[in-house]
Amino acid sequence: MSDQLPEVSDEPTVVTVTVNGKKQRALAEPRMLLSDFVRHGLGLTGTHVGCEHGVCGACSIRVDGEVVRSCLMLAVQVDGCTIETIEGMAKGDSLHPIQQAFQEEHGLQCGFCTPAMVLTTQRLLEESPKPSEGEIREYLSGNICRCTGYQGIVASVQCAARKIADQEAQQS
Amino acid sequence: MTSVMEKGPRPTQYIGARVLRTEDPTFLTGQARYTDDITLPGMAEAAFLRSPHAHARIVNIDTSEAEKIDGVLGVFTGRDLNEVVGKFTAGVPGRTDVNPQELQMIPADKARFVGDLVAVVVATSRYIAEDAVDLIDVEWEVLPHVIDPEAALEPDAPVLHEELGHNNFAHIEYKKGDVDRLFEEADHVFSKRFHAGRFSPSPLETRGVIADYNTASGEVVVWTSSQSPHLVRSLIAPPLGIAESRIRVIAGAVGGGFGEKCHVFQEEVIIPALSKLVGRPVKWIEDRYENLAASLHAKEIITYMDIACTSEGKFLAFRARYVGVNGAYQSYPWTALVEAMTTAAALPSLYAIEGVQYTIDCPYTNRCPIGAYRAVGRTAGTSARESLIDDIARELQIDPVELRLRNTIPNEPYVSLTGAKYDGGTYRECTERARDLANYDQFRERQRRLREEEGRYIGIAFVPSVEPSAWGSDMGKVNGYLASEIFDAATVTIEPDGSVSVTCGLHNHGQGIETSLAQVAADRLGVRLESVRVTMGDTRAAPYGFGTHSSRAAVVGGGCVLRASGDVQEKMAQMAANMLEVSAEDIEWYDGVASVKGVPTKTVTIAEVAAHAYYGGRSRPADLEPALTATRSYDPLETWPNSCVAAEVEVDIETGRVDVTRFWSVEDCGVMLNPMIVEGQTVGAIAQGIGGALLEDLAYDPETGQFLAGSLMDYLYPSATEVPEVIMEHLETPSPVTEGGMKGMGEGGLSVAPAAVLNAVADALSPLGVNVERSPLPPNTVLGYIREAGRAAEAGEG
Amino acid sequence: MKPPVFKYCAARSVDEAVHVLTEHGDDVTILAGGQSLVPMLNMRMARPEVVLDINHVGEIAGVHANGRLSIGALTRQRVVEHSDVVAHHAPLLRDGVRHIGHPAIRARGTIGGSAAHADPASEIPAVLVALDASIILTGPNGDREVRAADFFVSVFTTAREPDEVLTRIDVPPASPTSRSAFLEVSRRHGDYALVGVGAQIDEDGDGRITSARIAITNVADVPFRARQAEDFLIGQQLGDPAVRLAAADAAAAALSPSGDQHASTEYRIDVSRTLVRRVLERIHGGAQ
Repeated sequence: MSDQLPEVSDEPTVVTVTVNGKKQRALAEPRMLLSDFVRHGLGLTGTHVGCEHGVCGACSIRVDGEVVRSCLMLAVQVDGCTIETIEGMAKGDSLHPIQQAFQEEHGLQCGFCTPAMVLTTQRLLEESPKPSEGEIREYLSGNICRCTGYQGIVASVQCAARKIADQEAQQS
Repeated sequence: MTSVMEKGPRPTQYIGARVLRTEDPTFLTGQARYTDDITLPGMAEAAFLRSPHAHARIVNIDTSEAEKIDGVLGVFTGRDLNEVVGKFTAGVPGRTDVNPQELQMIPADKARFVGDLVAVVVATSRYIAEDAVDLIDVEWEVLPHVIDPEAALEPDAPVLHEELGHNNFAHIEYKKGDVDRLFEEADHVFSKRFHAGRFSPSPLETRGVIADYNTASGEVVVWTSSQSPHLVRSLIAPPLGIAESRIRVIAGAVGGGFGEKCHVFQEEVIIPALSKLVGRPVKWIEDRYENLAASLHAKEIITYMDIACTSEGKFLAFRARYVGVNGAYQSYPWTALVEAMTTAAALPSLYAIEGVQYTIDCPYTNRCPIGAYRAVGRTAGTSARESLIDDIARELQIDPVELRLRNTIPNEPYVSLTGAKYDGGTYRECTERARDLANYDQFRERQRRLREEEGRYIGIAFVPSVEPSAWGSDMGKVNGYLASEIFDAATVTIEPDGSVSVTCGLHNHGQGIETSLAQVAADRLGVRLESVRVTMGDTRAAPYGFGTHSSRAAVVGGGCVLRASGDVQEKMAQMAANMLEVSAEDIEWYDGVASVKGVPTKTVTIAEVAAHAYYGGRSRPADLEPALTATRSYDPLETWPNSCVAAEVEVDIETGRVDVTRFWSVEDCGVMLNPMIVEGQTVGAIAQGIGGALLEDLAYDPETGQFLAGSLMDYLYPSATEVPEVIMEHLETPSPVTEGGMKGMGEGGLSVAPAAVLNAVADALSPLGVNVERSPLPPNTVLGYIREAGRAAEAGEG
Repeated sequence: MKPPVFKYCAARSVDEAVHVLTEHGDDVTILAGGQSLVPMLNMRMARPEVVLDINHVGEIAGVHANGRLSIGALTRQRVVEHSDVVAHHAPLLRDGVRHIGHPAIRARGTIGGSAAHADPASEIPAVLVALDASIILTGPNGDREVRAADFFVSVFTTAREPDEVLTRIDVPPASPTSRSAFLEVSRRHGDYALVGVGAQIDEDGDGRITSARIAITNVADVPFRARQAEDFLIGQQLGDPAVRLAAADAAAAALSPSGDQHASTEYRIDVSRTLVRRVLERIHGGAQ
């Protein structure tokens, strides 16, 4: 047995995270959902909440690189973690190639699912730089879009893959 | 932020070009502000207690334990609220066959559906508010409930509203032509009962309201996730007892509406009232359970339809009885008739018939109320009618596409038997083009071969339509709202620096009208798109309007922007003419530069013209006022876009799973402002139609009255793997009756896609003797149909 | 839709976790991947006194093969899905995990969490039963090994005692020639299956079946192992369509599932039969 046992408490604690490259701290009681912490604790409202039971995917963010549903994690669980949200994607006023692709291929309408869709696309393209249409549809099937019927989104992901490949070709 | 558009060359005219959406970067970077993104100093949060019972009398509510929780600012019941707010009256003015209903903000006497409002808590956080909701103790007297709408019409049914004495909100009858004779003399009469399912928009952003009441000024600012901010303002003013001039309604970014948010809800009165009661800003964000159980349901209708026709398949008359499956109350202000009454008005569709007759009943049941959802009044009726037409084609052994073409009205303007004034279109061509795009001539052979050689069952169906859009007063009236007055207004202003501001009472929540209306203004004014800024969604900034719904934004918004821009343009030309010392008729505008016809070097920029207008003093013509602004309104005549879609499906007859494998759409919405947006709207509506046909079901247990679809584990949206690529083509017949020739679009896919999918399933399974009579079609139902048909066939042989 | 108040505790070791469990026992809910627990907290269907977070217990994460396949309870489903070791020793487990939810769900969801949650509709419990896996539970008196068939007691109920934590899952390795397939029918991609069937088959040199393991999800209150079909298959050849059909019939005949709004009893039986046949066809086809 360890000498010092972990504390069992419902008191708020300070949660320290590195968000989009910057260290931030905020108070959270144990029951606070990560989605609420990101939106209201850290003020990053680009992460949206659509169902709060892990189905719609709108609240997806990246925690230590993985895309996760922030409504299915507690804020206290990310103490010490690295978080990436949509607010960290564009560099100044120039959009990330994935964001550009979503505009060019009409990959969004009301914009509510969009931040999570963009972040999930980013992860997909890291894992599979040239995904097939089927692969794209399967990878994004956990992110609901109620507006587009997904056609523009699929085209956006394909376009983003091309843009990133071109960018990498230019750099090498 | 630089838009991609700016990098490329501009099109010669913006209208009709694939202009990238100017609003996108804001959404793509997470900077759009939806209702829940707003936080105000001292803001409290509300949570509602909702009924666990389908029908139960409130004997007593004990809120004392809830009030003791640290952070609770107040707990309010229906009785408490009735003392401080008035009621809504939901009816259809001008109709005597409808029984108007008074709606309390929170019913104080009893709950009438699972999810009905019972009480509300205001606390310092939503978490605490929900803790308090858990501790409200209600003593209930459970009453008998009724879920089945036809049972609700029986004399012995439990009555939901004692003051009405029965459950029927409306009984409407209509007849045109010698219907009885046509049915008597017809070679064939085909009949069908079709039960179209209950589904709803369930936008990804739920509803939400924030209210900030200022006790000193008596003014209230209300943020709400709404498609129609001015409508909200007009309708919450009376129950709140506050003048419209003292209410500011802001609908910022809205994460989808699809008709749900073109209603006005009790919470939009309750939250401002609570802000006044607790003396703080109050926020309420609907959670997903509340949205599914208690926001609004849509679409469900039981249709009994008869078609009289000749042996050659010529339709003579349509007859229908509609039972609209309302919930426990009327949606406001449109009522549940927004579905059933508009369905009846669309009964003839684009078929040339000689007689039409319908009756509508619209009973209350112990369910969530019915409201509008994209293509309201078309989904259920189209499914019923087109399903029966496919049955007729099989029965008479006429090809279903040919059967429809034989009965399609001519392309010229046409008045339907329900009084609709179609403004001309491509009623035949859309169907013919869809047939060709889908390679229909090769389909039947492929279908036979797959069935016989591989045991695979594929099916196809074509569904044409002509649809009401762009609701103005006339469109309202022909759909049964006899006292309709519906219009919109826009203000176009050239600012002192020459940039252009456009505001209107519409709302942009995915339709891209921030871009489309800028395209219209830019072309009409002769300026660059980038200089035009369109703002909407704030009653304090925009002129009055009815909001974005029923495919009206492009037509009505486009129309008033055209008119207002025209007025401003005239004045700009006069100013420029004065500066260039020529006559106004000789001025041409392009890219924000005025030039003199034939003298291209003689120019003046819009910035110079604006400076001249605003600050020119005596050099400005004495008869011209300085401000370069105009506000114009527009109430369009009826306009009717048309389309045809086709769906191909494959049914796994051993598991009942239906895959929609291919989809085609050919539509004619008149002048297209932006084909990219037209296509996005088309696919989006089709996806929702696939959801309604196969996946989405707001089911109730008839025995217990419990709601069975309270989470997204049970209410299934289509995901990227359920929607195929949609192949699209556009035909373009400008409307002769609207400003600019636009007809409006956006809803069509949801009118016809469900019918196309359902009919394609029926087509695939017809060799097995399956007849589709309801939606949706989950695997369990499909396999049930196949099993039943198999048993019937065995019984027939035996 | 916000969780009720609870006390939180993040254990850093199995010892710490067991200590907290010993102290608070019945009032504790263990939080692993959270993909099932947190929705229940948000809907207030679960109201634990204490939430014990084991995500920092690194010692129980990871896949090891040493005679048998050992998978730490905290191993994320995505790790299982992409593990060559798992693919080699328990191809059926990999096939089953691929059907769970979506990438973001599998990124958090753990193999132990899914087993401990004991939802008869989910893939992992069914596969563990089919593979005769052992569940290792660690309590105040050390480790205890429970066969998967004995671990799943009823819907959401297992043999785990309140003072125990599920730490490891051991799977007997498949022979190098084992072949497997997992098929399911769900309303949408990634949804819980209405019915799912997984099978892993070993054959001898003559193509006679020496071992058959077949699991069916969502047809009983525990994961269902189709023993009648397995027994029937021993000594048979998968290439014979009549054998596949008869095995499917044997599996279906043993079922008495209950119906719900999404699938009737009849549906579950019919589709189980179809899927058992198709899984065997796929395994046979894969060998061709």
